[in-house]
Amino acid sequence: MLSRVVLSAAAAAAPSLKNAALLGPGVLQATRIFHTGQPSLAPVPPLPEHGGKVRFGLIPEEFFQFLYPKTGVTASCELQRKILKGPYVLGTGLILYLLSKEIYVITPETFSAISTIGFLVYIVKKYGASVGEFADKLNEQKIAQLEEVKQASIKQIQDAIDMEKSQQALVQKRHYLFDVQRNNIAMALEVTYRERLHRVYREVKNRLDYHISVQNMMRQKEQEHMINWVEKRVVQSISAQQEKETIAKCIADLKLLAKKAQAQPELGRQ
Amino acid sequence: MNENLFASFITPMILGLPLVTLIVLFPSLLFPTSNRLVNNRFVSLQQWMLQLVSKQMMSIHNPKGQTWTLMLMSLILFIGSTNLLGLLPHSFTPTTQLSMNLGMAIPLWAGAVITGFRNKTKTSLAHFLPQGTPTPLIPMLVIIETISLFIQPMALAVRLTANITAGHLLIHLIGGATLALMSISATTALITFIILILLTILEFAVAMIQAYVFTLLVSLYLHDNT
Repeated sequence: MLSRVVLSAAAAAAPSLKNAALLGPGVLQATRIFHTGQPSLAPVPPLPEHGGKVRFGLIPEEFFQFLYPKTGVTASCELQRKILKGPYVLGTGLILYLLSKEIYVITPETFSAISTIGFLVYIVKKYGASVGEFADKLNEQKIAQLEEVKQASIKQIQDAIDMEKSQQALVQKRHYLFDVQRNNIAMALEVTYRERLHRVYREVKNRLDYHISVQNMMRQKEQEHMINWVEKRVVQSISAQQEKETIAKCIADLKLLAKKAQAQPELGRQ
Repeated sequence: MNENLFASFITPMILGLPLVTLIVLFPSLLFPTSNRLVNNRFVSLQQWMLQLVSKQMMSIHNPKGQTWTLMLMSLILFIGSTNLLGLLPHSFTPTTQLSMNLGMAIPLWAGAVITGFRNKTKTSLAHFLPQGTPTPLIPMLVIIETISLFIQPMALAVRLTANITAGHLLIHLIGGATLALMSISATTALITFIILILLTILEFAVAMIQAYVFTLLVSLYLHDNT
Protein backbone atom coordinates (compact mmCIF):
# COMPACT_ATOMS: atom_id res chain seq x y z
CA MET A 1 0.00 0.00 0.00
CA LEU A 2 2.83 2.35 0.92
CA SER A 3 4.71 1.49 -2.25
CA ARG A 4 1.71 2.48 -4.33
CA VAL A 5 1.56 5.88 -2.63
CA VAL A 6 5.26 6.50 -3.28
CA LEU A 7 4.96 5.38 -6.86
CA SER A 8 2.06 7.71 -7.52
CA ALA A 9 3.94 10.60 -5.88
CA ALA A 10 7.03 9.91 -8.00
CA ALA A 11 4.93 9.73 -11.13
CA ALA A 12 3.33 13.05 -10.28
CA ALA A 13 6.66 14.74 -9.59
CA ALA A 14 8.57 13.59 -12.64
CA PRO A 15 6.45 12.41 -15.54
CA SER A 16 9.51 11.03 -17.31
CA LEU A 17 9.89 8.52 -14.55
CA LYS A 18 6.46 7.03 -15.06
CA ASN A 19 7.99 4.26 -17.11
CA ALA A 20 10.48 3.53 -14.41
CA ALA A 21 7.78 3.42 -11.78
CA LEU A 22 7.57 -0.31 -12.15
CA LEU A 23 11.12 -0.64 -10.75
CA GLY A 24 10.14 1.05 -7.55
CA PRO A 25 11.35 4.06 -5.57
CA GLY A 26 14.89 2.71 -5.26
CA VAL A 27 15.66 3.63 -8.85
CA LEU A 28 14.40 7.16 -8.18
CA GLN A 29 17.09 7.59 -5.53
CA ALA A 30 19.81 6.01 -7.63
CA THR A 31 19.27 8.24 -10.65
CA ARG A 32 19.52 11.48 -8.69
CA ILE A 33 22.46 13.45 -10.05
CA PHE A 34 25.11 14.91 -7.76
CA HIS A 35 27.89 17.38 -8.52
CA THR A 36 25.99 19.30 -11.13
CA GLY A 37 28.45 22.18 -10.75
CA GLN A 38 31.92 22.35 -12.19
CA PRO A 39 33.64 19.17 -11.08
CA SER A 40 36.84 20.65 -9.67
CA LEU A 41 37.24 18.29 -6.74
CA ALA A 42 35.45 15.16 -7.88
CA PRO A 43 36.19 12.47 -8.85
CA VAL A 44 39.26 12.38 -6.61
CA PRO A 45 42.07 10.19 -7.96
CA PRO A 46 42.90 7.36 -5.60
CA LEU A 47 45.60 8.30 -3.07
CA PRO A 48 48.40 5.87 -2.31
CA GLU A 49 48.02 4.05 0.97
CA HIS A 50 51.59 4.33 2.24
CA GLY A 51 54.13 7.07 1.70
CA GLY A 52 57.35 6.55 -0.22
CA LYS A 53 59.98 4.45 1.52
CA VAL A 54 62.68 6.48 3.29
CA ARG A 55 65.90 5.65 5.07
CA PHE A 56 66.73 7.43 8.33
CA GLY A 57 63.37 9.16 8.04
CA LEU A 58 64.85 11.74 5.68
CA ILE A 59 66.39 10.27 2.54
CA PRO A 60 64.08 8.61 0.05
CA GLU A 61 64.94 5.25 -1.46
CA GLU A 62 64.95 6.81 -4.89
CA PHE A 63 68.17 8.65 -4.01
CA PHE A 64 69.97 5.34 -3.54
CA GLN A 65 68.60 4.06 -6.82
CA PHE A 66 69.57 7.36 -8.42
CA LEU A 67 73.22 6.98 -7.44
CA TYR A 68 73.43 3.31 -8.40
CA PRO A 69 74.49 3.89 -12.02
CA LYS A 70 77.37 6.10 -10.89
CA THR A 71 78.56 4.32 -7.73
CA GLY A 72 77.65 0.68 -8.33
CA VAL A 73 77.30 -2.03 -5.71
CA THR A 74 79.64 -3.77 -3.32
CA ALA A 75 79.40 -7.51 -2.79
CA SER A 76 79.55 -8.61 0.79
CA CYS A 77 81.42 -11.94 0.80
CA GLU A 78 79.63 -13.70 3.69
CA LEU A 79 76.19 -12.64 2.67
CA GLN A 80 76.75 -12.99 -1.10
CA ARG A 81 74.48 -10.03 -1.59
CA LYS A 82 75.01 -6.79 -3.41
CA ILE A 83 74.58 -3.75 -1.19
CA LEU A 84 74.21 -0.21 -2.45
CA LYS A 85 76.99 1.57 -0.59
CA GLY A 86 77.42 4.68 -2.70
CA PRO A 87 75.13 7.06 -0.84
CA TYR A 88 76.52 5.96 2.53
CA VAL A 89 80.02 6.82 1.46
CA LEU A 90 78.80 10.11 0.11
CA GLY A 91 77.01 10.88 3.36
CA THR A 92 79.98 9.97 5.55
CA GLY A 93 82.36 11.98 3.43
CA LEU A 94 80.08 14.99 3.49
CA ILE A 95 79.72 14.92 7.28
CA LEU A 96 83.45 14.52 7.82
CA TYR A 97 84.15 17.36 5.39
CA LEU A 98 81.74 19.69 7.20
CA LEU A 99 83.20 18.82 10.58
CA SER A 100 86.87 18.98 9.65
CA LYS A 101 86.59 22.28 7.85
CA GLU A 102 84.49 23.66 10.71
CA ILE A 103 81.74 24.55 8.30
CA TYR A 104 79.52 22.90 10.86
CA VAL A 105 80.82 24.05 14.24
CA ILE A 106 80.31 21.92 17.32
CA THR A 107 78.62 24.27 19.75
CA PRO A 108 76.60 23.65 22.91
CA GLU A 109 73.66 23.63 20.59
CA THR A 110 75.02 20.45 19.03
CA PHE A 111 74.57 18.58 22.28
CA SER A 112 71.13 20.00 22.85
CA ALA A 113 70.31 18.99 19.27
CA ILE A 114 71.55 15.47 19.92
CA SER A 115 69.54 15.15 23.10
CA THR A 116 66.38 16.69 21.60
CA ILE A 117 66.47 14.70 18.37
CA GLY A 118 67.37 11.54 20.26
CA PHE A 119 64.47 12.06 22.62
CA LEU A 120 62.06 12.68 19.76
CA VAL A 121 63.22 9.64 17.80
CA TYR A 122 62.85 7.50 20.91
CA ILE A 123 59.30 8.77 21.50
CA VAL A 124 58.27 8.23 17.89
CA LYS A 125 59.72 4.73 17.71
CA LYS A 126 58.10 3.70 20.96
CA TYR A 127 54.66 5.27 20.72
CA GLY A 128 54.26 5.88 17.02
CA ALA A 129 52.31 2.77 16.15
CA SER A 130 49.94 2.98 19.10
CA VAL A 131 49.15 6.63 18.44
CA GLY A 132 48.44 5.79 14.82
CA GLU A 133 46.12 3.01 15.87
CA PHE A 134 44.40 5.35 18.27
CA ALA A 135 43.79 7.85 15.48
CA ASP A 136 42.44 5.07 13.26
CA LYS A 137 40.18 3.96 16.07
CA LEU A 138 38.78 7.48 16.42
CA ASN A 139 37.82 7.57 12.78
CA GLU A 140 36.48 4.06 12.93
CA GLN A 141 34.26 4.96 15.86
CA LYS A 142 32.88 7.93 13.96
CA ILE A 143 32.09 5.81 10.95
CA ALA A 144 30.67 2.99 13.07
CA GLN A 145 28.29 5.39 14.76
CA LEU A 146 26.96 6.66 11.46
CA GLU A 147 26.84 3.15 10.06
CA GLU A 148 24.78 2.11 13.04
CA VAL A 149 22.31 4.89 12.38
CA LYS A 150 22.13 3.86 8.76
CA GLN A 151 21.62 0.21 9.66
CA ALA A 152 18.95 1.10 12.18
CA SER A 153 17.15 3.14 9.57
CA ILE A 154 17.41 0.33 7.03
CA LYS A 155 16.16 -2.16 9.58
CA GLN A 156 13.25 0.07 10.46
CA ILE A 157 12.25 0.37 6.83
CA GLN A 158 12.68 -3.38 6.35
CA ASP A 159 10.42 -4.03 9.31
CA ALA A 160 7.84 -1.67 7.86
CA ILE A 161 8.06 -3.52 4.54
CA ASP A 162 7.61 -6.87 6.25
CA MET A 163 4.65 -5.63 8.20
CA GLU A 164 3.12 -4.23 5.03
CA LYS A 165 3.62 -7.59 3.30
CA SER A 166 2.05 -9.47 6.17
CA GLN A 167 -0.89 -7.06 6.13
CA GLN A 168 -1.32 -7.71 2.43
CA ALA A 169 -1.18 -11.45 3.04
CA LEU A 170 -3.81 -11.09 5.71
CA VAL A 171 -6.02 -9.27 3.27
CA GLN A 172 -5.83 -12.31 1.00
CA LYS A 173 -7.14 -14.48 3.78
CA ARG A 174 -10.07 -12.30 4.66
CA HIS A 175 -12.52 -14.51 2.72
CA TYR A 176 -12.31 -17.13 5.45
CA LEU A 177 -13.70 -14.63 7.86
CA PHE A 178 -16.48 -13.75 5.49
CA ASP A 179 -17.35 -17.43 4.94
CA VAL A 180 -17.61 -18.02 8.64
CA GLN A 181 -19.80 -14.98 9.07
CA ARG A 182 -21.97 -16.06 6.18
CA ASN A 183 -22.37 -19.51 7.74
CA ASN A 184 -23.25 -18.00 11.06
CA ILE A 185 -25.90 -15.83 9.51
CA ALA A 186 -27.34 -18.73 7.54
CA MET A 187 -27.56 -20.78 10.68
CA ALA A 188 -29.22 -17.99 12.56
CA LEU A 189 -31.73 -17.55 9.79
CA GLU A 190 -32.41 -21.28 9.76
CA VAL A 191 -32.93 -21.31 13.49
CA THR A 192 -35.32 -18.40 13.35
CA TYR A 193 -37.24 -20.02 10.53
CA ARG A 194 -37.63 -23.27 12.41
CA GLU A 195 -38.61 -21.53 15.56
CA ARG A 196 -41.32 -19.65 13.77
CA LEU A 197 -42.48 -22.83 12.08
CA HIS A 198 -42.78 -24.47 15.46
CA ARG A 199 -44.71 -21.55 16.77
CA VAL A 200 -47.10 -21.67 13.88
CA TYR A 201 -47.63 -25.36 14.53
CA ARG A 202 -48.27 -24.73 18.19
CA GLU A 203 -50.77 -21.97 17.51
CA VAL A 204 -52.65 -24.04 14.98
CA LYS A 205 -52.74 -26.97 17.39
CA ASN A 206 -54.06 -24.67 20.08
CA ARG A 207 -56.89 -23.55 17.89
CA LEU A 208 -57.74 -27.10 16.92
CA ASP A 209 -57.57 -28.30 20.52
CA TYR A 210 -59.89 -25.54 21.43
CA HIS A 211 -62.43 -26.67 18.87
CA ILE A 212 -62.12 -30.28 20.00
CA SER A 213 -62.55 -29.40 23.62
CA VAL A 214 -65.54 -27.27 22.73
CA GLN A 215 -67.02 -30.23 20.89
CA ASN A 216 -66.31 -32.59 23.78
CA MET A 217 -67.82 -30.27 26.21
CA MET A 218 -70.87 -29.85 24.07
CA ARG A 219 -71.31 -33.61 23.83
CA GLN A 220 -70.80 -34.03 27.54
CA LYS A 221 -73.26 -31.36 28.27
CA GLU A 222 -75.74 -32.92 25.87
CA GLN A 223 -75.25 -36.29 27.50
CA GLU A 224 -75.75 -34.94 30.93
CA HIS A 225 -78.74 -33.03 29.87
CA MET A 226 -80.17 -36.05 28.17
CA ILE A 227 -79.57 -38.24 31.22
CA ASN A 228 -81.06 -35.67 33.48
CA TRP A 229 -84.03 -35.33 31.20
CA VAL A 230 -84.48 -39.07 30.98
CA GLU A 231 -84.21 -39.45 34.73
CA LYS A 232 -86.59 -36.69 35.32
CA ARG A 233 -89.07 -38.14 32.95
CA VAL A 234 -88.66 -41.56 34.44
CA VAL A 235 -89.06 -40.25 37.88
CA GLN A 236 -92.02 -38.31 36.74
CA SER A 237 -93.43 -41.35 35.07
CA ILE A 238 -93.26 -43.38 38.21
CA SER A 239 -96.52 -42.67 39.90
CA ALA A 240 -96.97 -42.82 43.65
CA GLN A 241 -98.81 -46.04 43.62
CA GLN A 242 -96.38 -47.76 41.40
CA GLU A 243 -93.74 -46.65 43.75
CA LYS A 244 -95.41 -48.24 46.72
CA GLU A 245 -96.04 -51.47 44.86
CA THR A 246 -92.47 -51.61 43.79
CA ILE A 247 -91.17 -50.96 47.26
CA ALA A 248 -93.50 -53.65 48.72
CA LYS A 249 -92.31 -56.13 46.12
CA CYS A 250 -88.75 -55.28 46.89
CA ILE A 251 -89.33 -55.86 50.57
CA ALA A 252 -90.98 -59.19 49.87
CA ASP A 253 -88.08 -60.20 47.63
CA LEU A 254 -85.66 -59.18 50.28
CA LYS A 255 -87.45 -61.24 52.92
CA LEU A 256 -87.38 -64.20 50.64
CA LEU A 257 -83.78 -63.72 50.00
CA ALA A 258 -83.11 -63.37 53.69
CA LYS A 259 -84.75 -66.62 54.38
CA LYS A 260 -82.76 -68.26 51.67
CA ALA A 261 -79.72 -66.78 53.03
CA GLN A 262 -80.45 -68.04 56.51
CA ALA A 263 -81.11 -71.48 55.15
CA GLN A 264 -77.91 -71.57 53.12
CA PRO A 265 -75.47 -71.02 55.95
CA GLU A 266 -77.16 -73.72 58.09
CA LEU A 267 -76.69 -76.06 55.23
CA GLY A 268 -73.25 -74.91 54.89
CA ARG A 269 -72.45 -75.34 58.59
CA GLN A 270 -73.69 -78.80 58.49
CA MET B 1 81.40 29.22 21.65
CA ASN B 2 81.87 31.90 19.14
CA GLU B 3 78.69 33.63 20.15
CA ASN B 4 77.52 34.76 23.52
CA LEU B 5 74.86 33.07 25.54
CA PHE B 6 72.05 35.27 24.38
CA ALA B 7 72.65 34.86 20.69
CA SER B 8 69.69 32.55 20.31
CA PHE B 9 67.35 35.18 21.65
CA ILE B 10 67.90 38.01 19.19
CA THR B 11 65.05 38.51 16.74
CA PRO B 12 66.07 36.86 13.51
CA MET B 13 66.57 39.04 10.50
CA ILE B 14 67.48 37.93 7.05
CA LEU B 15 69.20 40.50 4.87
CA GLY B 16 67.71 43.20 7.05
CA LEU B 17 64.18 41.93 6.69
CA PRO B 18 62.36 40.65 9.72
CA LEU B 19 62.12 36.89 9.55
CA VAL B 20 60.35 36.82 12.88
CA THR B 21 56.98 37.43 11.21
CA LEU B 22 57.30 34.20 9.25
CA ILE B 23 58.50 32.37 12.33
CA VAL B 24 55.47 33.54 14.30
CA LEU B 25 53.14 32.58 11.46
CA PHE B 26 54.77 29.19 10.83
CA PRO B 27 53.00 27.10 13.53
CA SER B 28 49.64 27.80 11.93
CA LEU B 29 50.78 25.66 8.99
CA LEU B 30 50.99 22.70 11.34
CA PHE B 31 47.29 22.75 12.13
CA PRO B 32 45.54 21.93 8.86
CA THR B 33 41.81 22.46 8.52
CA SER B 34 39.72 19.77 6.97
CA ASN B 35 36.05 19.63 6.13
CA ARG B 36 35.93 15.88 5.67
CA LEU B 37 34.22 13.49 8.00
CA VAL B 38 37.08 10.99 8.01
CA ASN B 39 40.50 12.67 8.02
CA ASN B 40 44.05 11.51 8.02
CA ARG B 41 45.66 10.55 11.32
CA PHE B 42 47.32 13.92 11.85
CA VAL B 43 44.15 15.95 11.53
CA SER B 44 41.97 13.54 13.48
CA LEU B 45 44.46 13.46 16.36
CA GLN B 46 44.57 17.25 16.43
CA GLN B 47 40.80 17.49 16.34
CA TRP B 48 40.48 14.96 19.16
CA MET B 49 43.03 16.79 21.28
CA LEU B 50 41.38 20.13 20.65
CA GLN B 51 38.01 18.74 21.59
CA LEU B 52 39.45 17.28 24.81
CA VAL B 53 41.16 20.50 25.81
CA SER B 54 38.22 22.75 25.00
CA LYS B 55 35.80 20.55 26.90
CA GLN B 56 38.08 20.44 29.91
CA MET B 57 38.79 24.13 29.94
CA MET B 58 35.54 25.75 28.92
CA SER B 59 33.07 23.63 30.86
CA ILE B 60 33.35 25.82 33.95
CA HIS B 61 32.14 28.92 32.17
CA ASN B 62 28.60 30.15 31.61
CA PRO B 63 27.49 30.74 28.01
CA LYS B 64 28.77 34.31 28.07
CA GLY B 65 32.22 33.09 29.03
CA GLN B 66 32.08 30.31 26.47
CA THR B 67 32.09 32.88 23.68
CA TRP B 68 35.82 33.16 24.45
CA THR B 69 36.44 29.52 23.49
CA LEU B 70 37.93 30.27 20.08
CA MET B 71 40.29 32.84 21.54
CA LEU B 72 41.50 30.62 24.37
CA MET B 73 41.91 27.55 22.20
CA SER B 74 43.95 29.45 19.62
CA LEU B 75 46.01 30.84 22.49
CA ILE B 76 46.89 27.48 23.95
CA LEU B 77 47.64 26.04 20.52
CA PHE B 78 49.88 28.96 19.61
CA ILE B 79 51.85 29.02 22.83
CA GLY B 80 52.17 25.22 22.92
CA SER B 81 53.33 24.91 19.35
CA THR B 82 55.77 27.81 19.47
CA ASN B 83 57.29 26.48 22.70
CA LEU B 84 57.66 22.98 21.33
CA LEU B 85 59.08 24.16 18.02
CA GLY B 86 61.58 26.27 19.93
CA LEU B 87 63.15 23.17 21.40
CA LEU B 88 64.45 22.09 18.02
CA PRO B 89 68.09 22.96 17.46
CA HIS B 90 68.91 26.38 16.07
CA SER B 91 65.32 27.59 16.22
CA PHE B 92 63.88 30.81 17.51
CA THR B 93 61.06 30.89 20.05
CA PRO B 94 58.85 33.96 19.81
CA THR B 95 57.58 33.46 23.36
CA THR B 96 61.00 34.24 24.77
CA GLN B 97 60.43 37.86 23.84
CA LEU B 98 58.74 39.83 26.59
CA SER B 99 57.24 42.19 24.04
CA MET B 100 55.29 39.36 22.47
CA ASN B 101 54.05 37.94 25.75
CA LEU B 102 52.99 41.35 26.99
CA GLY B 103 51.18 41.79 23.71
CA MET B 104 49.28 38.59 24.44
CA ALA B 105 48.69 39.03 28.13
CA ILE B 106 47.62 42.67 28.47
CA PRO B 107 44.77 42.69 25.92
CA LEU B 108 43.34 39.41 27.16
CA TRP B 109 43.49 40.43 30.80
CA ALA B 110 42.13 43.89 30.04
CA GLY B 111 39.30 42.39 28.00
CA ALA B 112 38.28 40.13 30.86
CA VAL B 113 38.44 42.89 33.48
CA ILE B 114 36.63 45.48 31.40
CA THR B 115 33.89 42.96 30.54
CA GLY B 116 33.50 42.35 34.24
CA PHE B 117 33.33 46.04 35.07
CA ARG B 118 30.84 46.79 32.33
CA ASN B 119 28.41 43.96 32.90
CA LYS B 120 28.73 43.12 36.56
CA THR B 121 30.10 46.25 38.16
CA LYS B 122 29.20 45.38 41.73
CA THR B 123 30.63 41.88 41.60
CA SER B 124 33.84 43.11 39.98
CA LEU B 125 34.33 45.77 42.60
CA ALA B 126 33.49 43.27 45.31
CA HIS B 127 36.50 41.19 44.26
CA PHE B 128 38.68 43.88 45.78
CA LEU B 129 37.64 42.90 49.27
CA PRO B 130 37.73 39.25 50.32
CA GLN B 131 35.02 38.02 52.61
CA GLY B 132 35.38 38.13 56.34
CA THR B 133 38.14 40.69 56.77
CA PRO B 134 38.28 42.56 60.03
CA THR B 135 37.20 46.20 59.64
CA PRO B 136 40.49 48.01 60.45
CA LEU B 137 42.29 46.08 57.73
CA ILE B 138 39.89 47.10 54.93
CA PRO B 139 41.78 50.09 53.40
CA MET B 140 45.02 48.17 53.48
CA LEU B 141 43.43 45.18 51.82
CA VAL B 142 41.76 47.21 49.08
CA ILE B 143 45.11 48.69 48.11
CA ILE B 144 46.73 45.27 48.13
CA GLU B 145 43.97 43.76 46.03
CA THR B 146 44.22 46.60 43.52
CA ILE B 147 47.95 46.05 43.21
CA SER B 148 47.42 42.33 42.77
CA LEU B 149 44.84 42.99 40.07
CA PHE B 150 47.13 45.24 38.09
CA ILE B 151 50.04 42.89 38.46
CA GLN B 152 48.13 40.05 36.81
CA PRO B 153 49.02 40.85 33.17
CA MET B 154 52.64 41.52 34.12
CA ALA B 155 52.78 38.22 35.95
CA LEU B 156 51.28 36.36 33.01
CA ALA B 157 53.76 37.78 30.50
CA VAL B 158 56.84 37.58 32.70
CA ARG B 159 56.03 34.07 33.88
CA LEU B 160 55.93 32.74 30.36
CA THR B 161 58.99 34.66 29.21
CA ALA B 162 61.08 33.72 32.21
CA ASN B 163 60.22 30.03 32.11
CA ILE B 164 60.94 29.52 28.45
CA THR B 165 64.02 31.72 28.41
CA ALA B 166 65.42 30.06 31.50
CA GLY B 167 64.87 26.65 30.00
CA HIS B 168 66.63 27.55 26.78
CA LEU B 169 69.50 29.11 28.66
CA LEU B 170 69.94 26.05 30.88
CA ILE B 171 70.00 23.76 27.87
CA HIS B 172 72.59 25.96 26.24
CA LEU B 173 74.75 26.14 29.36
CA ILE B 174 74.69 22.46 30.10
CA GLY B 175 75.42 21.72 26.46
CA GLY B 176 78.36 24.04 26.76
CA ALA B 177 79.46 22.29 29.92
CA THR B 178 79.30 18.94 28.15
CA LEU B 179 81.35 20.33 25.29
CA ALA B 180 83.97 21.75 27.65
CA LEU B 181 84.17 18.54 29.70
CA MET B 182 84.60 16.32 26.64
CA SER B 183 88.31 17.08 26.39
CA ILE B 184 88.85 16.90 30.19
CA SER B 185 87.05 13.78 31.33
CA ALA B 186 84.72 11.72 29.22
CA THR B 187 82.72 10.21 32.09
CA THR B 188 81.81 13.58 33.58
CA ALA B 189 80.81 14.66 30.11
CA LEU B 190 78.59 11.63 29.90
CA ILE B 191 76.93 12.45 33.22
CA THR B 192 76.41 15.99 32.05
CA PHE B 193 74.96 14.69 28.86
CA ILE B 194 72.48 12.58 30.81
CA ILE B 195 71.53 15.68 32.77
CA LEU B 196 70.99 17.39 29.45
CA ILE B 197 68.66 14.62 28.32
CA LEU B 198 66.64 14.89 31.51
CA LEU B 199 66.49 18.62 31.09
CA THR B 200 65.24 18.21 27.56
CA ILE B 201 62.42 16.04 28.79
CA LEU B 202 61.62 18.66 31.38
CA GLU B 203 61.63 21.38 28.78
CA PHE B 204 59.15 19.51 26.65
CA ALA B 205 56.86 19.23 29.62
CA VAL B 206 57.39 22.87 30.58
CA ALA B 207 56.59 23.99 27.05
CA MET B 208 53.18 22.41 27.21
CA ILE B 209 52.54 23.24 30.82
CA GLN B 210 53.27 26.92 30.34
CA ALA B 211 50.81 27.09 27.51
CA TYR B 212 48.25 25.44 29.69
CA VAL B 213 48.91 27.69 32.64
CA PHE B 214 48.68 30.84 30.59
CA THR B 215 45.38 29.86 29.09
CA LEU B 216 44.05 28.59 32.38
CA LEU B 217 44.77 31.82 34.14
CA VAL B 218 43.15 33.87 31.44
CA SER B 219 40.15 31.62 31.65
CA LEU B 220 40.11 32.07 35.40
CA TYR B 221 40.13 35.84 35.09
CA LEU B 222 37.29 35.43 32.62
CA HIS B 223 35.34 33.25 35.00
CA ASP B 224 35.58 35.86 37.70
CA ASN B 225 34.31 38.51 35.41
CA THR B 226 31.39 36.91 33.55
